[in-house]
Amino acid sequence: MSMRMSRFWAWALFVAGLMGWELLTRALQLSALVLPPPSVVLTALWEGLRSGYLWPHIGQTVLELVMGLTAGCALGLVSGVVLGESACLRRLLLPYVVISQVVPKLALAPLFIVWFGFGMTSTVVITALICFFPLMENTLTGVAQADPQRLELFRMLGANRWQTLLRLKIPSGLPGIMAGFRVAVVLALVGSVVGEFIGGSQGLGALIIASQGMMDTPLMFAVLVIITVLGLVLYQLAIVLEKLLLKSRITTL
Amino acid sequence: MSFLDMKQVSYTYPGWPAVVHRVDWCIEQGQFHCLVGRSGCGKTTLLKLAAGLLQPSEGVITLQGDPVIKPGPQLGFVFQAPTLLEWHTVLDNVLLPMSLSHKPTPQEVAKAEQLLALMGLSACKHHYPRHLSGGQQSRVAIARALIGEPAILLLDEPFAALDAITREELQDDLLTLCRLRNTTVFFVTHDIAEAVYLADRVAVMDRGSIRRDISVELPKPRGREVRYGPAFNAICAQLRGAMDGAAP
Repeated sequence: MSMRMSRFWAWALFVAGLMGWELLTRALQLSALVLPPPSVVLTALWEGLRSGYLWPHIGQTVLELVMGLTAGCALGLVSGVVLGESACLRRLLLPYVVISQVVPKLALAPLFIVWFGFGMTSTVVITALICFFPLMENTLTGVAQADPQRLELFRMLGANRWQTLLRLKIPSGLPGIMAGFRVAVVLALVGSVVGEFIGGSQGLGALIIASQGMMDTPLMFAVLVIITVLGLVLYQLAIVLEKLLLKSRITTL
Repeated sequence: MSFLDMKQVSYTYPGWPAVVHRVDWCIEQGQFHCLVGRSGCGKTTLLKLAAGLLQPSEGVITLQGDPVIKPGPQLGFVFQAPTLLEWHTVLDNVLLPMSLSHKPTPQEVAKAEQLLALMGLSACKHHYPRHLSGGQQSRVAIARALIGEPAILLLDEPFAALDAITREELQDDLLTLCRLRNTTVFFVTHDIAEAVYLADRVAVMDRGSIRRDISVELPKPRGREVRYGPAFNAICAQLRGAMDGAAP
């Protein structure tokens, strides 16, 4: 199947699925409380967007996500570089880092609420913690596993540690670092939405909980649609960034 | 005093027999010396000692009278693999020795372009290494080693991975470039014909020591007719015999 054909059939499958869903809910006369048909979900979504009701929530989630992602990735990158460069620190600290990551972060959310209070700070902290690990892990691997012959080349050229790090280790680890970033972006969305489940009064996660309380299932579905679209957009942005940074290394032009 | 002088040089990894054992070797200014031997005989280690990448456990190595303590700009080194940085263009790869410390000056850029032109790579200077063939990548690696105008060029089986015809072309290019600058060369290879074609003098290494030392008295510059002449083959046979004699 050619690329265009498979793309066409992917969309066709999507539309068929929606239509099947619509027909099924109508035929079975399911209550909108259990499974609203797509038309009702779309109406709820459109209404929410048009009236401006959803926008502050979207804004809140995006803000938390961007702040958490930025902080988590920056910290992950720096710690990955530091641990990758110093075998001594790696031996000392890595077990603690791993333990901190094995603890399910979402299970820590109630604790963060005790520490940072309800609202944005807790969610940002959870998001940052979730993003931290993939970035740190991949940076550490990339920096510590630079090609020995290239390291010798840099020694031969009289490069100091700083030059070797900036000109060799980080660029050669960049494909791995970007793969970690892609994972982090997706996890960041999970982090901020779930963080809002527990500790937020605003944001898409809080809205899901609220719509559950109001028994407004169409609104819940509408929010799920927004979260999915948000995730897809973020993932595509990460891929675009990756392509830009790794332009010289991609084999097909 | 020789240009590069190794006196009683040994190198040992702790707990193992010596990889390089009491080697004496000297190279005069402008000479081209080859070191041949089987895999694992210690020839790469000897080259790294000469480069200052390793420090001898015993003995001294001097370059122009000064002991070689660490690598530096006076040495050019070409590795077995081209070891280009795939995120830099060909031109930036050649300029790497400069760009590590400062932004390359227009003169340095011009010099890099001139070297690439000598290597027949002018058209590819803005390409990335992955667009280049293996032979072209090796040429870029040689240009990178020569850009700093090193007093001595050290090469570790740089053409081992290339096909026979490309290898011959690169050998000729290397000879031309070195003759142009009167560069002193120490070239490690396991290919006897390559050693005889390139060198003024060939050392045969086995189990850490130099067993034979053969002068190549063939006319220079050498061309294709030399490669298949009887004198050439006689020296090859002599070297092959030396390597057999060196084997256990």
